[in-house]
Amino acid sequence: MKYDLFLRYGPALLRGFGVSLLCWIVGSLGGALLGFVIACLYRWSAWPVRWILQAYIEVIRGTPFMIQLFVLYYGGPYAGLVLSPIQSGIVSFVVYGSPYFAEIFRSGFEAIPKGQLEAARAIGIGEFAILRRIMLPQMMVLITAPLTNFVIILSKETAILSVVTVPELLYETQTMAAETFTFVEPFLALSLFYWLLVVVTAELGRRVETYAMRHLRRSASAT
Amino acid sequence: MTADPSQSAVEPIMTVRGLSKWFDDFQALDDISLDVNRSEVLCLIGPSGSGKSTLLRCLNFLERYQAGEVRKEGRLIGWQEGSASPRKPLRPAALREQRRHIGMVFQQFNLWPHFTARQNVAEALIQVQRLGRDEAYSRAEAALDKVNLGDKANNYPSGLSGGQQQRVAIARAIAMEPDIMLFDEPTSALDPELVGEVLAVMKQMAAEGMTMVVVTHEMGFAAHVADRVGFLESGRLVTCRPPADIFGSEPSDPRLRSFLQTYRERNVV
Amino acid sequence: MDFSFDVILRNMPYLLAGARWTLVLSLTGISLSVVLGVFICAARISAKGLLRRAAAVYISAFRGIPLLVQLLLFYYLLPEIGLDLPALAAAILAIGMCSAAYVAEILRGALQSIPAGQTEAAEALGIPPVALWRRILVPQALRLGLPSLVNELILLVKVSSLASVVGIGELTRVAQNITGQTYRPLEIYLAAAAVYFVINFTLSQLGRMAERRLRLD
Repeated sequence: MKYDLFLRYGPALLRGFGVSLLCWIVGSLGGALLGFVIACLYRWSAWPVRWILQAYIEVIRGTPFMIQLFVLYYGGPYAGLVLSPIQSGIVSFVVYGSPYFAEIFRSGFEAIPKGQLEAARAIGIGEFAILRRIMLPQMMVLITAPLTNFVIILSKETAILSVVTVPELLYETQTMAAETFTFVEPFLALSLFYWLLVVVTAELGRRVETYAMRHLRRSASAT
Repeated sequence: MTADPSQSAVEPIMTVRGLSKWFDDFQALDDISLDVNRSEVLCLIGPSGSGKSTLLRCLNFLERYQAGEVRKEGRLIGWQEGSASPRKPLRPAALREQRRHIGMVFQQFNLWPHFTARQNVAEALIQVQRLGRDEAYSRAEAALDKVNLGDKANNYPSGLSGGQQQRVAIARAIAMEPDIMLFDEPTSALDPELVGEVLAVMKQMAAEGMTMVVVTHEMGFAAHVADRVGFLESGRLVTCRPPADIFGSEPSDPRLRSFLQTYRERNVV
Repeated sequence: MDFSFDVILRNMPYLLAGARWTLVLSLTGISLSVVLGVFICAARISAKGLLRRAAAVYISAFRGIPLLVQLLLFYYLLPEIGLDLPALAAAILAIGMCSAAYVAEILRGALQSIPAGQTEAAEALGIPPVALWRRILVPQALRLGLPSLVNELILLVKVSSLASVVGIGELTRVAQNITGQTYRPLEIYLAAAAVYFVINFTLSQLGRMAERRLRLD
């Protein structure tokens, strides 16, 4: 094991890790937001809109992320959409993740008993307040685990961005491997970075879940 | 079913001595001693949580116990003979060999839903007794006939009523031609109108001389079919006597008295 | 912009030829992963602590590292330790071994929904463990897990696109090659996306049909 390689390539790997993190976090947040909007639109619109949304969900879920990325990055310019590798990485992440997020939110909506909503409407609470004050807090308990799960899946998909020369972690790792004719060291470092990402995300998910479940604990304090 | 009347009277087929079992700190069974005689029907009654199902499950070693022993025809069940404390359980193959001669029927039937009634009954004949498929199937059909389900051989469990499912489960056990049958609350999961058909089959088996240990809440069955009735409370075998002594006169034991009283009050029509 | 359907039509035969390899990759991948997955799942719930831990490590390792990285490792690293596999074999192995980690968890979930009484009934009859697994647990787990397994197959159709990176001539690779000659990425990649979608849509319909047919009532 050549430890000095880590010193020499450490900054590049860290930079790559940073790019991976950026694409992942911005992509996840954007995807979740778009997914939430889709789920809400689906819930509160008529069938033509629903039909279009369902088609969108099916098509995006039925095609590989890599192909979506290629359409955007290589095909985009021919449709007047010129994006840098990182930009197209983030945008395709948002698009790719949105139907999965939408499905998670939709299952959360459906888990709230209808009677609760009727009770709220009966005493005159508005639809937006119902969503914010009654549905979301309860949904959080149910959807945190699948959300965490999917965000972890997304973190691994960032590796695919290397194919369109986004200078993320795998890209930097391959550069290191090619320049030093080593293999074990770069990929060991890479695995460590991904492992770190997964462990931290899983722990964060657990904390959010505990927080979201606070009203279900038997001796919950009032705060 | 091969009872010889000349020796059936008092020869025990199964003996339980000093049986105690703990679930962590909770003592489920407390120093139980009991004989099961050949061709006898022994019913175990008692309030829920009294340990009667646990005792039954110790008889074929589905539950491990910490002290005491269960012997069938002199052979120690489940543990290696003469092994020092902590005792060593038998090797799995040896335990399986013992269990194939002890039939068991469960409260929840526990049929395999992806097999037809015939396949459910034939499975152990094929896998354990190593019979060929055709022979296993014809023996399975004979066993189903015995429980009056010959015409349902091709049904899946989901297409049978609870009572029919339980009868298939009984056929599954008797097809193995066991020396003794254990019933764990066989009618407790059934709708009231389906209880009768299962009890009728069990009565028939008793009449044919099958040795049966039955954990039950059906006091009528215990009173009319059992040779002896054991009453358990808080893990102890309080008494074990002929049903006339239990149900006939007012029992002397206060715990049994209060149990029967509660039972009668609940079942006043 | 001049979107040309003509380019798509002319190149469709090549794309479909590539799609054949996509199917080969994903079908052999899922076969490998189901077989492996049964054993990993059995180890994961075994009474032996060592087996249980080994299975847990396998599952978290193969689920924790991006598949693309695993593919590169199989492709580049195996030759270094003397195992010179053809690219196709390396890709199938990587896809199958990674998917096995997910299949093992799918099967574990399905097994947990089989009532414990069924196993007890088998034990009370003296049915040996191998027969218990082969005849009673695995068939039911596969049936209960079928919707998830079809999803996994659809996932494999999609991730098989990664094999293009190690030069397998499957759908994505073929699309790249055609793009290199025609300079029509928008048309070609959209066409490739359509082919993927048709494959997956068909699979999900087939899965639904099988599910209906396997229902036991």
